[in-house]
Amino acid sequence: MAASTMSFLERAGTGPREAARWSRRQVLLTDLRSVRGRAYPRVKGLLREPSWVLFEILLPFLATSAFVFVYRAIDAPQQYVGFVVLGGALSAFWLNVIWMMANQLYWEKSQGNLELYFAAPMHFMSILFGMAVGGMVMSSTRAATVLLIAGTLYGVTFSVDQWALLLGVFLLTLGALYGLGMVLASLFLVWGREAWHMGQLFTEPVYFVSGLNFPVARLGFLGALSVAFIPLATGLDAMRQLAFAGAAFPAGTPPPLVEVAILAAMTVVSIVAARWMLIAMERRARRDGRLSVRWQ
Amino acid sequence: MSALARAAMDPPAPAPIFDLARTRGRGPADTFRTFAVSARLGWQLEANWTDPFLFFVYSVAKPVSSALILVVMLEVIGGPAGRSFRPFVVVGSALWSFVISGIAGLAWAILEDRERYRVLKYIYVSPSDFLVVLIGRGVARLVVGLAGVVITLVVGVVALGVPFDVAVVDWPLLAASSVVGLGAIIALGLLMAGVCIQTRQESWSYPEAFAGALFLVTGAVFPLAVLPAPVQAIGLLAPLTWWIAGVREALFPGGPDSIGGPGSLFAALLGHPSPTGSEIVIALLATGGVATLAALAVFRLSDRRAKRAGLYDRTTGS
Repeated sequence: MAASTMSFLERAGTGPREAARWSRRQVLLTDLRSVRGRAYPRVKGLLREPSWVLFEILLPFLATSAFVFVYRAIDAPQQYVGFVVLGGALSAFWLNVIWMMANQLYWEKSQGNLELYFAAPMHFMSILFGMAVGGMVMSSTRAATVLLIAGTLYGVTFSVDQWALLLGVFLLTLGALYGLGMVLASLFLVWGREAWHMGQLFTEPVYFVSGLNFPVARLGFLGALSVAFIPLATGLDAMRQLAFAGAAFPAGTPPPLVEVAILAAMTVVSIVAARWMLIAMERRARRDGRLSVRWQ
Repeated sequence: MSALARAAMDPPAPAPIFDLARTRGRGPADTFRTFAVSARLGWQLEANWTDPFLFFVYSVAKPVSSALILVVMLEVIGGPAGRSFRPFVVVGSALWSFVISGIAGLAWAILEDRERYRVLKYIYVSPSDFLVVLIGRGVARLVVGLAGVVITLVVGVVALGVPFDVAVVDWPLLAASSVVGLGAIIALGLLMAGVCIQTRQESWSYPEAFAGALFLVTGAVFPLAVLPAPVQAIGLLAPLTWWIAGVREALFPGGPDSIGGPGSLFAALLGHPSPTGSEIVIALLATGGVATLAALAVFRLSDRRAKRAGLYDRTTGS
């Protein structure tokens, strides 16, 4: 008899109250299994749905190419083309955060999965972590492909002095981005049918204030606010400073180490906020009874 | 004699005569009613979930932000010298929001009704022309896109210093370009709707990807001359290229041109640097006509295959 079945029977024999009383180890293992389970479709989906591969690479690549040609039309220095390519690669993560993190719980609700998540014996944060881990893997392949194709096609040359710091900034940027995605997931669920429009609102306007295609310092106070509060802006600026060392572009943003600290703070704050938001959302959903009402 | 036996001996009640004329409808009046109802339905689906102000903000945030990104890019590199290029990018990015709305509107109507609300099969068998229903649904998104165009242009003129003079606007060119261009956009939307009828899950990205590809070759935000000649040739075959050029030339006569210029394929082929207004309208009519015929053919083929393969009542869980 399988170990899991035996374990269930043993617990079942001791009565429902005892069966529901789990050890810390059981809880942890179940949560880890949930993380793996929720990440699984995104990682497997990398190759199983060819249209995803095509469109998730094609869309950021096309947008990146358009901005590259704008810079070429006005005879911009080649480093600016590099800025656009790096921004295009990071936009794959942002799109993933908005459409496959923030909007995900609303879609799960529309498809009838959300109530199953709540009914399952696991912490809901495991679902969010699973979505984030799967999304990071999925988007990393997309971003790397966009970087490689666009970088080669448009002749981008990177000048990196501090590889370790660049890698650290990249990982912290992912942490902060997906942490924000976990917070937004609960918010978007509460916003209901506005979720799609909120997704739109969080795309181009955020690209603008984050300086996706130009140095964010150019935006002055607005740029400073973005660096302080939007992980895309902070991470992108730090990565540009590190990937194009010595490039002449408008200065005015903090040095990379300060931005590392900002990203670390964003990551911690967003994960704590995501947990708090989940509790608040669950309480509100129970009070209003709208958790399983679809299309609202 | 029992009641049952009497009933059996009575002559049967005359069967209701089936009025064949009803299946043909009442011509243009029915068509218009179908169009009006589906346009209203589309609008309700788009806008009935929030208050008008919020909806307005959502609708214009994207095109305005796109224009701002381009304006800052010009400012970063060109400084004051780059400002002559500003009307070019503001008009292009404003018009592009209309293109996306038009192309996505029809395709998403198919996907929403089939995958999300699962009513496409009922709509299809209703006594309305399916094509008219679809175009009506798409019109709602076009209206939203139009609001984005107008607001982006107003922001461009009022806040970004785009020099606009009503007195120099070429109204006939603007009217001709707008009318024919609108038809071309609806045709491209119909083409994507035909594709989305056939495709399975994750078709939601197709209209955006299609629009993204067109964005690169139509000179929306940069002149075609920076592209390799074969890509410029593809751009010259697209009606949207001529539509954008027509509206741009009508609103800002003599400004930077997206089709011609030094090194452009147009200049090499026709021997003069930029297209004239009449050349733009003729090219727009020709390319728009071809696009419309192609879109109708693709849609009809797709419709026929969908009926045969049962695609209208198939949901794919996307």
